Amino acid sequence: MQIDLEEKHSQVQCFFEPQGIAVIGASQHSEKIGYQVIKNLQEGGTFPLPHLKGFSGRIFPVNPKADQVLGLRCYSKITEIPERVDLAIICVPARLVTQAIQDCAQKKVKGVSIISAGFGEAGTEGKKLQEGFLEIAKRAGMRIVGPNCLGIIYPPRHLNASFAPFLPLSGKVAFISQSGALLDSVIDWSVKENYGFSAMISYGNKCDLDAPDFIAWAAKDPYTKAIALYIEGLNDGRYFLEIAKKVTPIKPIVALKAGKSAVGRKAVGSHTGSLAGSYQIYKGVFRQSGVIMADTLTEMFDMAKTLAYQPLAKGNRVAIVTNGGGNGVMCADYCEELGIELPNLPPELIEKLDKSGRMHPAWSRGNPLDLVGDAGSERYEIALEAVMSSGVYDGVIVIQTLQTMTKPLRNAGILVEMQKKYKKPVIGAFMGGVITEAGTKYLEKQGIPNYNDLNRAAKAMWALIEYGRYLRRRKV
Amino acid sequence: MNKEEILTQIEQFKEDGRKFLPEPISEEILASYNIPIPPASLAENVEKAVKCAKKIGFPVVLKVVSPQIIHKSEAGGVIANIGREAKLREAFPRILANARKYNPRAKVEGVYVQKMVPPAREVIIGTVKDKQFGPVVMFGLGGIFVEIFKDVVFRVAPIDKEEARRMIDEIKGLAILQGARGEKSIDFASLSEAIANTSQLAFDFPQIEQLDINPLCLYPGNIYALDARVILE
Repeated sequence: MQIDLEEKHSQVQCFFEPQGIAVIGASQHSEKIGYQVIKNLQEGGTFPLPHLKGFSGRIFPVNPKADQVLGLRCYSKITEIPERVDLAIICVPARLVTQAIQDCAQKKVKGVSIISAGFGEAGTEGKKLQEGFLEIAKRAGMRIVGPNCLGIIYPPRHLNASFAPFLPLSGKVAFISQSGALLDSVIDWSVKENYGFSAMISYGNKCDLDAPDFIAWAAKDPYTKAIALYIEGLNDGRYFLEIAKKVTPIKPIVALKAGKSAVGRKAVGSHTGSLAGSYQIYKGVFRQSGVIMADTLTEMFDMAKTLAYQPLAKGNRVAIVTNGGGNGVMCADYCEELGIELPNLPPELIEKLDKSGRMHPAWSRGNPLDLVGDAGSERYEIALEAVMSSGVYDGVIVIQTLQTMTKPLRNAGILVEMQKKYKKPVIGAFMGGVITEAGTKYLEKQGIPNYNDLNRAAKAMWALIEYGRYLRRRKV
Repeated sequence: MNKEEILTQIEQFKEDGRKFLPEPISEEILASYNIPIPPASLAENVEKAVKCAKKIGFPVVLKVVSPQIIHKSEAGGVIANIGREAKLREAFPRILANARKYNPRAKVEGVYVQKMVPPAREVIIGTVKDKQFGPVVMFGLGGIFVEIFKDVVFRVAPIDKEEARRMIDEIKGLAILQGARGEKSIDFASLSEAIANTSQLAFDFPQIEQLDINPLCLYPGNIYALDARVILE
């Protein structure tokens, strides 16, 4: 299969950088989706939040029964709009969708996002409707997102072309989700967590555009550095495999596959048949195409963010620097489980630190490098400098527990500085809450992910190792 | 067999309404994809079986061949470790009797006489057609490991030797193949090749719905597919 990512990107770019947007089924009633979509386009969201801004392009409500929606002139048909329209968002009842699509074709719209439900997911009748309008769109060269989807969100352009509650913060992770409801909850969570997105895509029934199309788009999107994918099923598994193989050497994909409990096929005559559950096969497909598999949502977003912001590890050798013994041991356990090596400190490094005169006499002289509880910022600095310059380690996990003499913000500054100097992966595990926050917020702002749970810190580091390893293999 | 001959065989069985290819045919197909099979041949009567055993050399294993008997062991249709002619003459009618007892209506096409191979580490290679991905190939440790631990790995077919090797590296029981407790390592190159070739076979013939090579016996210097089952669409 010959795949041109550039071409794939340009085919769906109309959903992300539209010149003009028509909303078919726009409404004056605030509880209607046709109202919320206009509001989302105008203001970025239906809830007042300080980060929100509206879409700066032209918005055209379409509804034969209204003159105005939210202060905008309303057209009775999309074909009456005198200006160029690239994207149409359809939120009329299912039985009116086919006509709307026909009008869009006449208007020479490039992309249609169908929010309306009641099609492929709703029995034979709906399926027929879906096939019918897909045919019209194909003949007109229009692409379709949905139906039965939330829509598309593109924070770099303040574009909330969906009925999701509001725009997330702008960031470097593109989230492609088969579930719209999941996307809603992620948005609300992410703003609180300061987690930013380059794009959010809900593609619903995928009657035309499916996850692989958006993965191909994200590969060429300049704002996206990592792709997070929530997936239940695919229209064409081999198409996914080909796209993923093509994209993973350019950008990392982290995927969460739902439907783990689904067992193998029913009519079974072979061992293989009885073992071939969909989850098992997806696992193989992900390995085959270099997609990193996550078990939980938290894990998916942790890994995606780390991959988007941190440099990749050049190898598998990690140092743990800590001011708490127990935390260091726990972290070492998690690393071991993930196959991360924790090489001992080389003798010359131990000697160097001993000679510095700044270490506690009882410092561990091993890995985890335990600075001991009374460690001030200076000790962190000396230890990190020694570890990161040594050439023995490919990355560092830095644990900080809050002691009376701990200065979270100063320590965070040291991590940022060291990262800049040595360009190796650094993961923070500044563990705490109200006081520690001063440091963790700074770390996050500077692109160093911080976790309160050592398991998450280890897994994030693993993602940098795993993806680095994959890229080295692909380059050979 | 070349590809055309395999296709002719497959079409013939489909025409006859038979979904399960007999073991001798299944193994012949594998052999044409360079998957080693122990020397064997089909014998319709005891004299032919003796002649055949002498040619391939004792010890041998006898396996009943009947379209109505899918689970051969269950039917008493497998007798292993036959070391000499007298034993074979005694075992041959016993297998036929067992088959009749198991299913009086079973049509027995003959008895498959196969060279016994020494005990080995056993794995399973299989393929199945998936709704979303088409033919996929599976690899895992055989016997109890596949039954209890389901220690198996999948890939979309076809794959090359390198990808097959990565599959092997992903199973939890890898150390068993590398050689635990003083055992020698198995022949990873041959195993990788067998997985890749099986995946190619499934890809080349979309008529194959499922395929099991179970067990595939692994030795330090070579491998043997001991039993194979090909199920058509």
